[in-house]
Amino acid sequence: MSMDAMVIEHMMNPKNYGTLSAANAEGMGKNPENGEKVVVYIHVKEDEEKPYIDEIAFQAIGCTTTIVAGSMLTEEAKGLTLDGAKNLVAATMQLLEKLPDEDAACSEMVVLAIDAAVDTYMKRKEETDYPMLTYQVSHTCTPKEEEA
Amino acid sequence: MKTVLIKTHEAWLEMLMAGFMSRTESKQILFDFSDILFRHFTWIEHELIEIGESYDYNRDNIPIKVSRLSDMLKAITARLLEIDLQLVGTPDRDLAARMSTDIAYMVDVLHGMNDEVVTAFNMERRLPNTELTEEATDALTLFLFDESYKEYELIMIYNYLKAHSDDAFLNRIFQILIDESFFHLKQFGEMMAKMGILAVPRVVMRELYEVEDVTAFLKAGIEEEIVAKEECKKLSDAVGRDSQSLAKFFDFINHQENYHIALMREALVHYEKAENG
Repeated sequence: MSMDAMVIEHMMNPKNYGTLSAANAEGMGKNPENGEKVVVYIHVKEDEEKPYIDEIAFQAIGCTTTIVAGSMLTEEAKGLTLDGAKNLVAATMQLLEKLPDEDAACSEMVVLAIDAAVDTYMKRKEETDYPMLTYQVSHTCTPKEEEA
Repeated sequence: MKTVLIKTHEAWLEMLMAGFMSRTESKQILFDFSDILFRHFTWIEHELIEIGESYDYNRDNIPIKVSRLSDMLKAITARLLEIDLQLVGTPDRDLAARMSTDIAYMVDVLHGMNDEVVTAFNMERRLPNTELTEEATDALTLFLFDESYKEYELIMIYNYLKAHSDDAFLNRIFQILIDESFFHLKQFGEMMAKMGILAVPRVVMRELYEVEDVTAFLKAGIEEEIVAKEECKKLSDAVGRDSQSLAKFFDFINHQENYHIALMREALVHYEKAENG
């Protein structure tokens, strides 16, 4: 991870870290290889023409890179409509494809957790007690030389 | 009682952070007070277990970014006075009286402390008398954030396990591991403050300390310690080219992990024996 002042600020003061008591959906991104996971909590404001994420929080069992990714991406997702959040997920996944696997895995967990939270919200529109969705990462966190 | 637990947890960490910020004789006093507040925390936790009230280690995020120590001390004082007010409802009157008199003394001492300029948040990422390359500085930065959180997480996990165990053999091991993690946390926190990147470790997720399968937890913990040793070794190699004293320090931490692994293996054998009758 390259460290400029903005990254260090996210390390020192991660934005949106914690749970959200008012959440109306949650989603999990998980790395089955090492047990790391990210849970994203969202509150979608529904009384608008286009519902949007007005509050978001995340918690993680993971490394500092995951926390920085969670801090940055939840800031990006705040205020987005559900379509906007889906676009953010798609655009970030495209960017991650250009990174080495071990660099991409932590951010992918966060992106998948946002995606899962939005999908959980949609499912709950039809079935109110629909359980939290969990998506698993496709990238591996293990650096190439350690795999051999 | 639950509010007292949360507020005491926050006050303990705030006091610890103030200790890292200080560069004078106040530092040790703040560390000692933070140790006392941690003990308060464990005593309140014991009370909650005794009366069968559920609790967790959740807390609010703690803002610590100040430019003067006096601002931090004012915030801690306000929190301590808030705890003191909440003690009215504590069933154990001896504990409440003890905490209340401790708080009164601490507030008095904090009030009389000299102010200091705080440099713990300037993000300069330089250690006194040490010239590190950018690569080594980045490696050290990442290590300090990862490991300071990890040590806090271990304190919370072993504290929870200890609070819920009446097995003297295991509790001895848990206490050693708590003490060791405190030492590491203080070492890493000191370094972070010197580098201008001091931060409060994030809240630990509940599922980490509410351990359902202790043997699986210990097996995973041993693996994690082995990985932590490798990280320490990598860091020692990365900084060793620029600073022999820093490399020696991380080798020292690395070697301490061997004993942690041995203790965790002892605990694992003990658990497995108990499980198999």
